[in-house]
Amino acid sequence: MKKILVANRGEIALRIMRTIRKMGIKSVAVYSEADRSSPHVLFADEAVCLGPAPSSQSYLNGDKIIDFCKQLKVDGIHPGYGFLSENADFAQKVTDAGITFIGPGPDAMRIMGSKLAAKECVKTYNIPMVPGIDQAIEDVVIAKEIAEKIGYPILIKASAGGGGKGMRIVHAEADLEEQMQRAISEAKSSFGDGSVFVEKYVSSPRHVEIQVLADNYGNTVHLFERECSIQRRHQKVVEESPSSVLTPELRKKMGDAAVMVAKSCKYTSTGTVEFLMDDKLNFYFLEMNTRLQVEHPVTEMITGIDLVEEQIKIARGEKLGFTQDDLKINGHAVELRVYAEDPLNKFLPSIGTLTTYIKPEGEGVRVDDGYEEGMAIPIYYDPMIAKLATHGKDRTEAIQKMKKAIKDYKIEGLSTTLPFGTFVFEHDAFLSGHFDTHFVQDYYTPELIIEKQKSNAEVAALIGLAYWMEINKMINPVENKSTSWKRRLAH
Amino acid sequence: MPENNKSFAVKVNDFKFQFKPEDLSQLNIVKHSPTEYNLIKKNRSVNARILDSENAGKKLRVEVDGEAFEVEIRDDLDQMLDKMGFGAAAVKQIREIKAPMPGLVLEINVSDGDEVVEGQKILILEAMKMENSIVIPTKAKIKKVVVLAGQAVDKGQVLVELE
Repeated sequence: MKKILVANRGEIALRIMRTIRKMGIKSVAVYSEADRSSPHVLFADEAVCLGPAPSSQSYLNGDKIIDFCKQLKVDGIHPGYGFLSENADFAQKVTDAGITFIGPGPDAMRIMGSKLAAKECVKTYNIPMVPGIDQAIEDVVIAKEIAEKIGYPILIKASAGGGGKGMRIVHAEADLEEQMQRAISEAKSSFGDGSVFVEKYVSSPRHVEIQVLADNYGNTVHLFERECSIQRRHQKVVEESPSSVLTPELRKKMGDAAVMVAKSCKYTSTGTVEFLMDDKLNFYFLEMNTRLQVEHPVTEMITGIDLVEEQIKIARGEKLGFTQDDLKINGHAVELRVYAEDPLNKFLPSIGTLTTYIKPEGEGVRVDDGYEEGMAIPIYYDPMIAKLATHGKDRTEAIQKMKKAIKDYKIEGLSTTLPFGTFVFEHDAFLSGHFDTHFVQDYYTPELIIEKQKSNAEVAALIGLAYWMEINKMINPVENKSTSWKRRLAH
Repeated sequence: MPENNKSFAVKVNDFKFQFKPEDLSQLNIVKHSPTEYNLIKKNRSVNARILDSENAGKKLRVEVDGEAFEVEIRDDLDQMLDKMGFGAAAVKQIREIKAPMPGLVLEINVSDGDEVVEGQKILILEAMKMENSIVIPTKAKIKKVVVLAGQAVDKGQVLVELE
């Protein structure tokens, strides 16, 4: 492979191109009209404009991207995450055009992209799954029978769903009919398909996922877990590896299960198998993400493996250079997603210009970002500014480095999740490791951050006042002078 | 000036504090460089740094615990002027309407030269998938509409200039 096009923008495009360059390969950036001066465009060897700012007219225009690849004689396309990364039709078109898609094959992508197909596929491999039914229903009577069998509380979930739509928790049989009807009507209006699943509701679950890596010759390994339970709006914001609740035995069990899931669909490249974990550490297969994950840096930090490099090697037909036994966990890594969001205002987007932007530095500190000072955060895309990750010899050291890095990260001009990060990394529940996906609703209120800000603001007021009085000579300037004068006379 | 320093109102970002001279004389404060201070308050040791200062030190930017704060000091005289309506803010006439948030201008409801009344809708700004009507806080004459429908604007960007 001599030239790779990165079909993405921002921090992930830049991060992928760094590895491409390290490997002596040329990189091609794509950009929308809103991103002309973005670092990923400036870094690339070649760059082409896809069109106007909205994603549908630029980063999602697969045909145009393939045309550019032909024009520029590109050998491979790396899709990053989001946009076209899990679009099986795009992967197929790329392959048909004679270009290498750096990621899994379209078939594996198609299977894992459908909740039903994924369940069907892993069925024969004895992977633990949340008790429930493996087919979509619309009939309340059947739902009642199943609920009785698996026990309340249960979760009704739209089969075509996502983002919490068409989802209902039912605690008792009396509510089932009403809730089911509402879930069906919500699913119908949101996805045009009213079929739903019924499964056991796992209360206070943790979200633990396993990174897998597979070559084209049937070699599949896992690169341990990532704990991603700290979420807001069902979206991850803090991740770490390893998880503080996994024992070596449990890690092996989950790792083996993840490898099985990957093998069940003949998976190649990097992928992530997501599990739900209940408070008794039972784990259940949730879904497989067929791409490089946002939070991959924590895995890279504890394994020393460059996942993008592995993806490219696998795509050009190389065998994995290591076995499961070669892989060891080295230390601990934590990551904070720095979003342009206001943690004091329901994590709503806070779009604007980065009037001050200074990154933290230091041993074990990694910043994956795609912006520079003076740049605006466009309103068209995901509001993530950067991922801040730290690595230490143990969890405490990684967290201490993170707290310092957050302080050293100077961002002005908009609100970010940095103060929320400090809240998490100082919170007893997080420090003890006893937390689940309800962390934000259980412990977080903006008042806690405001209180701390007010206390620092008062210090700022007092120091400002002291400085002002001093430069206006209100603080005993005469006495000071005479003291030094006397002292000088004495000598 | 010393006779005016009976009390100080200090505005820091959105917080407001009121101090008396005795509050200040009790402070355990040391200065260890021309712009760096350490304060021990309720046994907590806090470092602070003056980043910027203007208006003879009445408007400052102070960094505390890694975070930058905008500090504005009003002494007795300033506060008296504020109360009498001579404050800098009160005498300032509105010359333009700025965007209160970043967003996309959806539609514009006024044209150059229009006479508008208080509360009249000037334009609709879409931000985060919500439509917000921008209204004028006073009776005025539109000098110039400086944005176009469909244009993306930053927070604080001028939308309309007034006579």
